Amino acid sequence: MTDKDMIICRCEEVTYGELVETANEYGCNARELKLRTRAGMGYCGGRTCRNMVDAVACTVTERDSKQVTLKYQPPVRPVHFGDLGAIGHD
Amino acid sequence: MADLIIIGSGPAGLSAGITAAECGLSVLILDEYLKPGGRLLGQLYEEPGGKWWNGIEETRKLEKRAAALDLDIRLGTAVSNIEKEDGLWHVYTDRETFTAPSLLLATGAAESPVAIPGWTLPGVMSVGAAQVMTNVHRVKPGSRGVIIGVSVLSSAIAMELNIAGIDVAAIALPKMNEVNKDGANPAGVMDSLLHVSHMAPSKFVQFGSKLMQNDFMKKLGITFYPKGGVKMWGIPVMLRKAVIEICGTEQVEGVILATVTTNGQVVPGSEQRIDADFVCIAGGLYPLAELIGLTGCPFHHIDELGGYVPLHNEQMETPVDGLYVAGNITGIEGAKVAMSQGVAAALSIARNFGRQGLDDILREAVEYVGETRRKAHIQFHPEVAEGRRKMQQYWEEYEAAQERIAPEEPVVEKEVLQGV
Amino acid sequence: MTERILDHSVLGKLDTSPKVSFLFNGKEYEGIENEPIAAALLANGVRTLRRHEESGSPRGIYCNIGHCFECRVTVDGVQGMRACLTPVKDGMVVTGGGQLDAPVRDWRKNNG
Ligand SMILES: Cc1cc2nc3c(=O)[nH]c(=O)nc-3n(C[C@H](O)[C@H](O)[C@H](O)COP(=O)(O)OP(=O)(O)OC[C@H]3O[C@@H](n4cnc5c(N)ncnc54)[C@H](O)[C@@H]3O)c2cc1C
Ligand code: FES
Repeated sequence: MTDKDMIICRCEEVTYGELVETANEYGCNARELKLRTRAGMGYCGGRTCRNMVDAVACTVTERDSKQVTLKYQPPVRPVHFGDLGAIGHD
Repeated sequence: MADLIIIGSGPAGLSAGITAAECGLSVLILDEYLKPGGRLLGQLYEEPGGKWWNGIEETRKLEKRAAALDLDIRLGTAVSNIEKEDGLWHVYTDRETFTAPSLLLATGAAESPVAIPGWTLPGVMSVGAAQVMTNVHRVKPGSRGVIIGVSVLSSAIAMELNIAGIDVAAIALPKMNEVNKDGANPAGVMDSLLHVSHMAPSKFVQFGSKLMQNDFMKKLGITFYPKGGVKMWGIPVMLRKAVIEICGTEQVEGVILATVTTNGQVVPGSEQRIDADFVCIAGGLYPLAELIGLTGCPFHHIDELGGYVPLHNEQMETPVDGLYVAGNITGIEGAKVAMSQGVAAALSIARNFGRQGLDDILREAVEYVGETRRKAHIQFHPEVAEGRRKMQQYWEEYEAAQERIAPEEPVVEKEVLQGV
Repeated sequence: MTERILDHSVLGKLDTSPKVSFLFNGKEYEGIENEPIAAALLANGVRTLRRHEESGSPRGIYCNIGHCFECRVTVDGVQGMRACLTPVKDGMVVTGGGQLDAPVRDWRKNNG
């Protein structure tokens, strides 16, 4: 296996080649890179690959040190369909 | 309803819960794991003087104190979202929704990977995964492993595997690419290891201390670094070899190692295969800030602290009303620092709750955090104190700006409410 | 082979009781009650917990502490449970997901 085919985002199986090519073609920041490739949009919410996606984006853009580059979105743990409508009781 | 909800029952969360309960607050601790203790559970190393730091024992001590105070700890409870409404925090879990006026986030750290072709194969795991399997669950991750990534954490865990009777064939660097840069540079890795030499095994220190003197010697050291590695506890630490591929079809069967130049470029023709049935990936730790990222709390990227860290002060307060932080969410450090931060956070919370006479012990608790840091045996970043100084400075700048905008009015609070 | 660390020079002896038996992909295995499903399976030499929905590539535990969701399995009918932090119980039925059928994959690609 070459580096190009090496997986970065394990959930969505996005490869190193795809990320580097997309970053170079569009000169995109981490957020745009994520949206274009789906890296970090899978089951784990990007906990595993976020720093690597960030690193690729940082080769073509400046890091925003005052704002998390890949915004967190709820839910941070997958919610089962049955639980979505559940009413809190406490 | 509890006065305080703590998310995370690691050393920071447990210590905070104990202190808060001692101050008379009612506390609820939530954790998704099946045991309390967080990442403290897997820790095992000999401290100077020959005493063992045994995470399971340390957790047991905390658990005992928590039990004596009747602390409500709910395990197996994953928090998926937090929101503030009408002055109350709503904490959504996979079971029910809890509410409280104060919320302490002590969610710890997560591991960052390095990517190597083949790293999705079963048998490849983070180095922390191997630590937990070995020390907490007492199952061998495999019979012969290779660790990719040379750091304080990976050397400590290599030693732990070793004393559990698990063969570690080598600790080597990852192959250099755009995502593995720092960890793949032999000279850089050597330099960072020498800074934490009090933690490194004696052999390595002996080898390294000769090189500490000046840059020329350091360069020479990495140039002539033995290709077979320098052995610690019988495990070759290879700073001039990188794993370029993990082999196997259904699971790990081995790795391909290659010699690299002093700046990490693979020397063609130097590839060699070694057999292994498991591989550990060590790419470092970063603060797990996903929940606090939902609150509108400002962040700062501080390398010395391990990445993006929520804005907070030494009393563990954030700019968001009723929201506090403690432990590795504020920066990567050892468990003792996390515990001392938990105590400081709890005292702040109790004081802000109107408990009288806490100012002096809070001040002492904050000083104790600094003292614990200075004496720490494990240091993940040699300049962590500088990272802390930067954060305090950001806090002061933030406070000054707030006073200029609108005295008495918490700006972040408004943003949070609008976002809800 | 993977195996249990029964005796540890610092941590001491391992208590292996009470034993439980559970099913994984239809086969019966023995574990220690309340240890994580993933640990029980690894002690039995089982590394592969599921296959990737699209490519079918085999996956096992990665982080072992609940962060990566690589270990997700169906436990007693509930999908998406993390084998690394779900305690094993006697009589539990655990299945690891396989590659999805092509039509489902295509639907996911277009709608996911
Ligand atoms: C894999 C790994 C290995 C480490 N090894 C060492 C070591 O050998 N030596 C050392 O000094 N330090 C080590 N550390 C650093 C370690 O983070 C600190 O020593 C210390 O444990 C930090 O304490 P804490 O309380 O901040 O967080 P943790 O101990 O990480 O505890 C955080 C707790 O929060 C829970 N949690 C997180 N998110 C949620 C959620 N959404 N819902 C519910 N619960 C949640 C977790 O399950 C966990 O139990 C390691 C860290 C990691 C990640
Ligand atoms: S192995 Fe990562 S969530 Fe279970």
